[in-house]
Amino acid sequence: MAPPTGKRVKGVQIFRPFVYGTTARPFDEKTNPKPPGVPDDHTHSWTVFVKGIDDVDITYWLRRVQFKLHESIPNHVRMIEGEKGKPFTLSETGWGEFEITIKLYYVAESSEKPQTLYHHLRLHPYGRTEEEKETMKSSKEVISWCYEEQLFNEPYEPFYEILTSGAMPPSKNNNTKAGKEKEIPRSEGGVLDRSAMIPLTNRPGQPFSRETEAVEIKKLKEALVKVEELTKKTREEMMKKEQRLKELKADVLK
Amino acid sequence: MTSRDVHDVLNIPSDHSGAPRPSKKGKNHGPRPNLKGLAREVQNLGGDNPIAIVPEVNFFKKRRFASRKPATKWELKPFSNSARGDNGNLILRHWKRKTEDGAPAEASQDSEAQPAEGGTGATEKKVEVLEDSAFAKFNVQVAVPQYNEDQYHSNLQSDDWTKEETDYLLELAKDFDLRWPLIWDRYDFIPKSSAEETANGTSTAVVPAGKSRTMEDLKARYYQVAAKMMAVQKPAQYMTRPEFELYEMMQNFDAEQERKRKQFALNTMSRSKDEAREEESLLLEVKRILARTERFNEERRELYRRLDYPNSDADISPFKSSAGLQTLLQQLMTTDKAKKRKSIMGPGEGTSPASAVPPSAVSETNPVNNRRESIAASSVAPNRRDSDIHTPVTPAEPTPTTATNTKKKGAAPPERRKLTQQEEQVYGVSYHDRLGSGPTFRYEKINKLYSHKSGQQQLRITNALAELDIAARLVMPTAQVTSQFEVLWGAVTGLVDLRKISDRLDGEIKVEEAKKAERDKARGIVNGDKEKAEKKGEQQNGEGGEKDKAAAPQNGDAPAAASVEKNTAGETAQDAPAVAAPDQAKETEVKAEEGEEEKRPGSSGGTGALKRSASVLSTASDKSAKRQKK
Repeated sequence: MAPPTGKRVKGVQIFRPFVYGTTARPFDEKTNPKPPGVPDDHTHSWTVFVKGIDDVDITYWLRRVQFKLHESIPNHVRMIEGEKGKPFTLSETGWGEFEITIKLYYVAESSEKPQTLYHHLRLHPYGRTEEEKETMKSSKEVISWCYEEQLFNEPYEPFYEILTSGAMPPSKNNNTKAGKEKEIPRSEGGVLDRSAMIPLTNRPGQPFSRETEAVEIKKLKEALVKVEELTKKTREEMMKKEQRLKELKADVLK
Repeated sequence: MTSRDVHDVLNIPSDHSGAPRPSKKGKNHGPRPNLKGLAREVQNLGGDNPIAIVPEVNFFKKRRFASRKPATKWELKPFSNSARGDNGNLILRHWKRKTEDGAPAEASQDSEAQPAEGGTGATEKKVEVLEDSAFAKFNVQVAVPQYNEDQYHSNLQSDDWTKEETDYLLELAKDFDLRWPLIWDRYDFIPKSSAEETANGTSTAVVPAGKSRTMEDLKARYYQVAAKMMAVQKPAQYMTRPEFELYEMMQNFDAEQERKRKQFALNTMSRSKDEAREEESLLLEVKRILARTERFNEERRELYRRLDYPNSDADISPFKSSAGLQTLLQQLMTTDKAKKRKSIMGPGEGTSPASAVPPSAVSETNPVNNRRESIAASSVAPNRRDSDIHTPVTPAEPTPTTATNTKKKGAAPPERRKLTQQEEQVYGVSYHDRLGSGPTFRYEKINKLYSHKSGQQQLRITNALAELDIAARLVMPTAQVTSQFEVLWGAVTGLVDLRKISDRLDGEIKVEEAKKAERDKARGIVNGDKEKAEKKGEQQNGEGGEKDKAAAPQNGDAPAAASVEKNTAGETAQDAPAVAAPDQAKETEVKAEEGEEEKRPGSSGGTGALKRSASVLSTASDKSAKRQKK
């Protein structure tokens, strides 16, 4: 690792959203034929990945990713180097579910230590309800994707510079020559390159967006209301119980 | 006459040797087509290059009616204009070239003829066929921001503007296509309440006119509403560049400035010729004065520099030796030279900020010293030397350091430039008071919430969350979601703790009830001793047989206990959980025995004995409670 350059920018936190997870497909004669050379007992082909939200480039902060697979898989520690504009992916075949250790190595400018994520490889349909399982079964793909936000707390100055530039023209000459600036590329979901933005709406294959977030917040708020109700009820019950206990104790003294 | 002849006439030496030329030319000339209508001489003037004159081609224009097609037919067709807001009631007709396939055109012609005859059925069909005017598309409607009640209340509240008036303004803006002078001219908002009054007709009182609004007021409100609604529909960082520019422009509309601008413009327009001339001359004067003050300031600065006395608290030890003095002299010489050169370059140079900054460190001390040096020459008083000591240190060192200092200062702002709010949003930058440096994941915060709890608590909380239909892992752990989850988490832990306390209370109540049962039993026995004989007879008679049976296994030793007691014992047994029940029952049995043993020797029905038994009971029941917990 490069020696730290510059100072840490105090009190600043910068985040970048990204997605990691696995996509598994069972072998099938028609849709997903088994490639030659795959052992007979392998039932699924699967892919593990780390990518930017809305498929934006993240290689400007993430240099490489190490996937540690199950020991039984030959060459089970795989290092994937970043390629500009491409997600970090690793495809394999297998028959069993296990936990994949994903280690993220940041770009040299960040001078940060690698961080580890754990992800459970899903091959078989899962879900909290039967309904969820069924829909997953019918889609023929077992998707287990996680949204995550990488937080850089007090980044070093050079890295801070990287993280706070590129998505828009510098603010100083924003007004003077705004017309001449060329449009900064956006992803389909309207996410600026090198920004921490999240698409506004869901699109096929991109389940994470402000929409999803709003739904989740709503759900949590509803749950909170329910919990508050329950708490109130429990408290009332407790009051009654305490009353009863007092009565009983008072009886003793009689 | 060839080009060579021309060259000869004009005395231009031909670039080629004469010999091979004629033959070559002759060769070239042969095949060249002899263009008609051009004299040979003229043609030859061009030399080897043919003259670029398009030859006239003699043939007639093509016949216009070569195809012998019949003349295209035109027909009078009706059309409506959808841009008129009259549902196509006005039907005009214009000439149109007839289409190739005659059928539809004929049909329309037919339908045209029919209404004249009074046919009604065909008119509908005709309306469908009716074409829209080609100019209808130029009737562009202004997209006025839309909002509903909620949005207005949450975003657009204003002290100065009511919702009705805002609606009215937007309506006008739409009607007049944002032509502000028109809007302002027609703007005549009457508050609703007063409008109602007049509608009643009875009151002829003066209608309170709405506030008079200037055009700037109207514009400011409109832009404010439009910008806010734009932001509501699409957060600023998602806007495309033109959208954002529009948004920013509307947001930065400054009514006051606009008003001033118009005022100034008006003033400029209304001044007379003389006034204009005077103003011009005044401006010139101002310019001159400014230039002069600049020079004056420079001179004054120079003077101050010379008056400044150097501070003399530096170490003199390096200059005590003759070598040190030598270097000192050297230093002074060089600074002196630099100074001279600068003065040659003129004061104009000095004013420029680039050169003005570094000398300040040098010249503060040096010029004075230089002059002194020249006056005092070799006889340097210790006092003087003392004052000079500072100089070699300063020019050698500070110049580079100040330079780097300024450089650093200059470089720092771009490195840590201030981010605008929008940039902060786009780059996901936030500021916190306390941060552990280094990369982390947003979800870790939630994991930490769990890890702070004991295993059992974790289990309870996850169960509670599952009850609420919250997935074990958040779908999108963004900052907002996680903070919301933390609130929920706090509530859930509170609930779980409450439940725990409530469970404990349950236990305590049970214990107390058991105690009470015991006490009642004891009391019953005390009382029962006397009643025993009477009751025995009754029981044997079988009056309370049923009750007895229920209580029999529990009260084994004390079958004579009162029926009241039996009932309470039964209740406690029902209340208590299945596991605890037999335990408790046994416990109570034991105690009952103890109580009886104690009471039998004592006086019958004594209150003191009762109390004693109660105290024994309570200790025993504590034990039982402990056993229960286990």
